[in-house]
Amino acid sequence: MGLLNLSASTSWWELSKPPLDISTNGHLIDELFNYTTVLCLFYFVLVCIGLFGFSYLYSRKRHKVPYYTYGNKKKHLLVTAIIGAAVFLTIDLNITRIANNDLMGKFWKWPDPKTEKVLRVEVMAQQWMWSFRYAGPDDQFGTADDVVTNNDLRVPVNTKILFHLTSKDVIHSFFVPNVRLKVDTIPGRITRVWWDVNVPGVYDIACAEMCGTHHYLMKAQLTVYTQEDFNRWIASSEKIALNTNDPADANLAWGWKWEK
Amino acid sequence: MKRSDLQSNLAMMIVLLSGAMLFATLFMGYAIYRTSAPVWPPLGIPKISLFIPFLSTLVISVSSWFAYQFKTYVKVSNFIKAHSNLNWTLLTGFGFLAMQSYFWFHLKNTGVFLGTSGIFGSVIYGYTWIHAIHMVLGLGSLTYLKIVLRPETVNVLQKAINVEKFWHFLGIIWIIMFLTLFVL
Amino acid sequence: MSGGFNEIHPEPTTFWDKYIISFDHKVIAKQFLWYGIFFLGLGGMMALLIRWTLAYPGVPFPVLGNILFSQSGGVVPPDTYAMLFTMHGTIMIFYAITPILIGAFGNYCIPLMIGARDMAFPMLNMLSFWFAFLSGVVLLISLFLPLGAAAGGWTSYPTLSTIIGSPGAGQTLWCLAIFLFGASSTMGAVNYVTTVITLRAPGMGYFDMPLTVWGLWLTAILNAIFVPVLGAGVILLMMDRVMGTTFFLAGASATSGSGDPVLFQHVFWIFGHPEVYILILPAWGIVSDLLSFFSRKPAFGAKATALAMTAVTVLSTLVYGHHMFTTQMSPLLTQSFMTLTMTISIPSAIFFANWLGTIWKGSIRFDSPMLFSLGVVFVFGLGGLTGLHLGTVTTDLYLHDTYFVVGHFHYTMAASVLLGGFAGIYFWFPKMFGKMMNETMAKIHFWGTMIPLNGIFFGMLMIGYGGMHRRIYNPFVYESLKRLIPINQMITTSAIIMGAFQILFVINFIWSLRKGAKAPNNPWEVGTLEWTIPSPPVHHNYDVIPVVKCGPHELGNPNLKNGRDFQYQTEELVEG
Repeated sequence: MGLLNLSASTSWWELSKPPLDISTNGHLIDELFNYTTVLCLFYFVLVCIGLFGFSYLYSRKRHKVPYYTYGNKKKHLLVTAIIGAAVFLTIDLNITRIANNDLMGKFWKWPDPKTEKVLRVEVMAQQWMWSFRYAGPDDQFGTADDVVTNNDLRVPVNTKILFHLTSKDVIHSFFVPNVRLKVDTIPGRITRVWWDVNVPGVYDIACAEMCGTHHYLMKAQLTVYTQEDFNRWIASSEKIALNTNDPADANLAWGWKWEK
Repeated sequence: MKRSDLQSNLAMMIVLLSGAMLFATLFMGYAIYRTSAPVWPPLGIPKISLFIPFLSTLVISVSSWFAYQFKTYVKVSNFIKAHSNLNWTLLTGFGFLAMQSYFWFHLKNTGVFLGTSGIFGSVIYGYTWIHAIHMVLGLGSLTYLKIVLRPETVNVLQKAINVEKFWHFLGIIWIIMFLTLFVL
Repeated sequence: MSGGFNEIHPEPTTFWDKYIISFDHKVIAKQFLWYGIFFLGLGGMMALLIRWTLAYPGVPFPVLGNILFSQSGGVVPPDTYAMLFTMHGTIMIFYAITPILIGAFGNYCIPLMIGARDMAFPMLNMLSFWFAFLSGVVLLISLFLPLGAAAGGWTSYPTLSTIIGSPGAGQTLWCLAIFLFGASSTMGAVNYVTTVITLRAPGMGYFDMPLTVWGLWLTAILNAIFVPVLGAGVILLMMDRVMGTTFFLAGASATSGSGDPVLFQHVFWIFGHPEVYILILPAWGIVSDLLSFFSRKPAFGAKATALAMTAVTVLSTLVYGHHMFTTQMSPLLTQSFMTLTMTISIPSAIFFANWLGTIWKGSIRFDSPMLFSLGVVFVFGLGGLTGLHLGTVTTDLYLHDTYFVVGHFHYTMAASVLLGGFAGIYFWFPKMFGKMMNETMAKIHFWGTMIPLNGIFFGMLMIGYGGMHRRIYNPFVYESLKRLIPINQMITTSAIIMGAFQILFVINFIWSLRKGAKAPNNPWEVGTLEWTIPSPPVHHNYDVIPVVKCGPHELGNPNLKNGRDFQYQTEELVEG
C-alpha cells in the first residue's frame, strides 16, 4: 500500500472545497470565508515579500553593512501605525460588520411560527444518537401524536425549519455541513437554530462536539424532500405514530412544551 | 525597604492575587447560578439559620484583629505579647474551623445535603470547604510562626507580615462568602 | 521561603544537592528542559498514532501497533483514540511547551539576562520543578489505569468529563495532575515576576531588558492571574466527580440539577485564552531578540514591540468568548467578543511590521537560530491570519470544531512555539552546556521540520474547510468525507517525515553534549549580559554584578571602532 494516493483524479484544492451548499443563507458564510481569505492572503503575501525579499536582499553576502536604526524615527513609527490601522480598517471592521449583519439579519433572526410558515422540530441528542420530534396533527409537542424519528431528519424544500435542541447526557453539537451551521446541544438548556434548504437529496448530519468513545458514529441522515413528497411522508408517519406511539415508552416521552 | 523585604512583599501580593482569582472564579460561578435560577434558594431547600455563620464571621474578624496585634508587637520586638496574641489568633482560627464543622452537621440535620440538594448544597458545602482548606494552610503557617517566633530568627518580622496578610485575606474571603452566600 | 539578596550561595558539593534537589536556576532550567523533551517525544508519538488512525482507519499501526494494541490486532481502538488525543493535547500544552518555553528558558534566561545571581526565591524554584514532576507522574500513572486515562479532550468539558461521561479514575487524576501543575506554574510565576522587578542589574530599566525577558515576564504575570481560574474549575470538577456535587451537571442526568455545564467552558476559556498567549509570548520575545541579533542591527521599534506584547497580554484576557460562539451566548456578548477579538490584530500587525523592520537592511547571518526565528514569522503569519476566520461569528459557526480550528491552533501554538523553542535551544545551547551544536545537522533539521510541518498544518486547514470535524476516530464513516482521504494521507506522511527529522535533533543534541566543539564565551557575537560570562557560567553567574549602560540590541553601530560590530550591555553607548 502506497503512503500517498496520488492517483486521485481531482486536485486537492478541488477536494477541500466545502460540501454542496443546499441552504438559502449558507452562501453568506462561504462568501465571508472567501472574502476573509482574500484579505488574509493579501497581508500574508506582504509578509512573505518582506520575509523572503529581505532575507535575499540583506543576507550577509549581499549587504555587508547593516543600517543602524532603532526604528523609532517619526517616519518609522508612522509606517508601523499605518500598517496597524490598515489591518484594522480593511480586515477587522469589514468582516465584523458583515458578520454582524449576517448574524442578526439572517442566522439569528428567528422565524416566528405565528406569522410565517415554519416547520418546528425538537431535537434530543444523546450518546450516540439524534432524535427528532415533529408536532404532529395537533401542533403540540410532547403529545401522543408526535412523530419521532431517530437519526433520520426529513424536511421539505423552501420552508424555514426552526429547531429547538437539548441533550440528555453530555454536550453534543448539531452540525449540518451542507447548510454551514452548527449549534451545541447542552443538557439543561435549549439552544436554537434555523435554516431552509432548497436542493432535494440526502445529506449528513454530524455531531461536532466530542461526546465520548463513539462520537464518530453519532451521525444522522438529512433527507430533503420536495413539498409534495414531504406532505406524503409526514401524513403517513402521523398515521403510524397515532397507531403505534406508546405513551408509556420512556424513549418517546422526551418532548417538551414549545416556548417562544 | 530592604530588597529581601521588597521581594517578600511582592511575592506575597502575587500569591494573594492568585488566591483572589481562585475565589473570584468561585464567586463568578455563584453569580451565574444565582441569576439563572428562578428562585433562590431553590424550591424545597429549608431555610438556613444565619446564627452560626454570623458567629463564625465574628470569630474570624476577632482572629484577624489578633493577627494584626501580633504583627504590631513583633514590629516593636515585644515577643512576649506577640506570643500571647499569636496564641489567640491560633485559638480563634481553630475555633472558626470548629464552628464551621458544627455548621456542616447543622446543615445536614436541617436537610441540606451535598448531592441531593442540587446546586444549592454544592455551593454551600463546596465553597465553605474550599475556604476551610485555605484556613488549614493559614493555621499551618501560624503554627510554623509559633515555632520560629524568636528575636534571633532571620526576617521574623517579614514572615509575620506575610502570614498576617494571608490571614486577613482569608477573613475577607469569608466575610464576602457570608454576605453573598448567606445574607443575600 | 528564603528571600534572595542576590548574594553568592555556596556551591553544592554532593550529586544529590547539585543535580536533584538543586536550588540553582541553571540546573532547574536543565531539569525542565529534559522533562519537556521527554514529554515532547511522548506527545509526538501520540500524534503519530492519531494521524495514522485518521489516514488509514482499521490498518494496524506499523511496528508498535502489535505491542501496544495486541487485543485489537495492532489497530488503535476507539476508546484509546479518545485517550490519545486528550493526552496529546494535555501533554503538549502543559507538559512539553510550558516546561521548555517557560520552565527551561524562563529559568535559564531571566537571571542571566538581567544580571542576577539566581532567582529571587531559589527554594520556591526547586519546589516548582518538583511539583511539575509530581504532576507528570500522576498523569503518567493515569495512562495505566484499568479504565484508561482521561478521554474527554484536553478541554474536558462537562458533562462528558463528569461521572456521567467518564467513569473511572483517569479523569480524576487528570484534574489532580492539572491542579498540581497549576500550583507549580503559580510558584514559577511568583518567582519570575519578583525576580524581574527586584533583581535587574543596576542601570537596567525595563526597556533595557531583552525582549525575551519581556515575553517571559508578561507570561508569568498572566500565569499568576489566570492559572488559579483553571485551578478553581478543576477543583469544582473534581468535587463533582468525587464527592457528588452538581456544579456542572444539568438536565436529565443530574438527579437534582441546575448546575451549569457551560460555566466550566467560561472558566476554562477565561484561563484558556490567556494560556494561548502564555505559551506564545516567550516565543515572540525570543524571536524578536534573535531577529535583531542575527540581522546585526537593533530591534526595530523594540519599545513598540514590548508595548504591543503588553497590549496583547491585556486584550487576551477579554476575548475568551470566541471559543464559545456555538453555545449561543446572548447576541450582545457574542458581538462584543467578536469585536474585541478583532482588535488583537492591531498589536499583532505591529509585531510583524517590527519583525520585518528588523531584518530590513540588516546584514543577515543565516545561522540555525535565525532560520528557526524566520520560520516562526512565517508560520505565525499563517496561524494568526486564520484566526480571523474563527473570530468572525458566522464563519465560526461553520468552522468551529472542524480541523480548521486544529490547523489554526497548531500553527499558532504548536508550530510557532516549537520553532521558537528550537531557535532558543540552538541559540542558548552553547551557554547552557559549553558546547556548540552541529550547524549542518541543525540546518537539515530546520528544513526537515519546516516543510512537513506546513504540509501537516496547512493540510489540516484544508480538510477543516472541507467539513471534517475534530476528534473523530474514523472520519470516513461519513460518505461526504471520503474524498478527503488523500489529503489525510498526505498529512500523515508529512507527520511521519517530520517525526523522523526530530530524531536528527536528538542525535545532534546528545552528540554535541559529548563531542561538540567547545563553545567560546560569545559564539553569536551579541551583547546581552549572559554572553559577557564564561560558557557555561559559574555557579553564581556573575563574580561582580554587572552595571548596565546600554540597551540589549546594540549591533551594527557605525561609530564602533574596536573591531566589533556589537556592544555589550555593560559598555557605554558609543555615539558619533
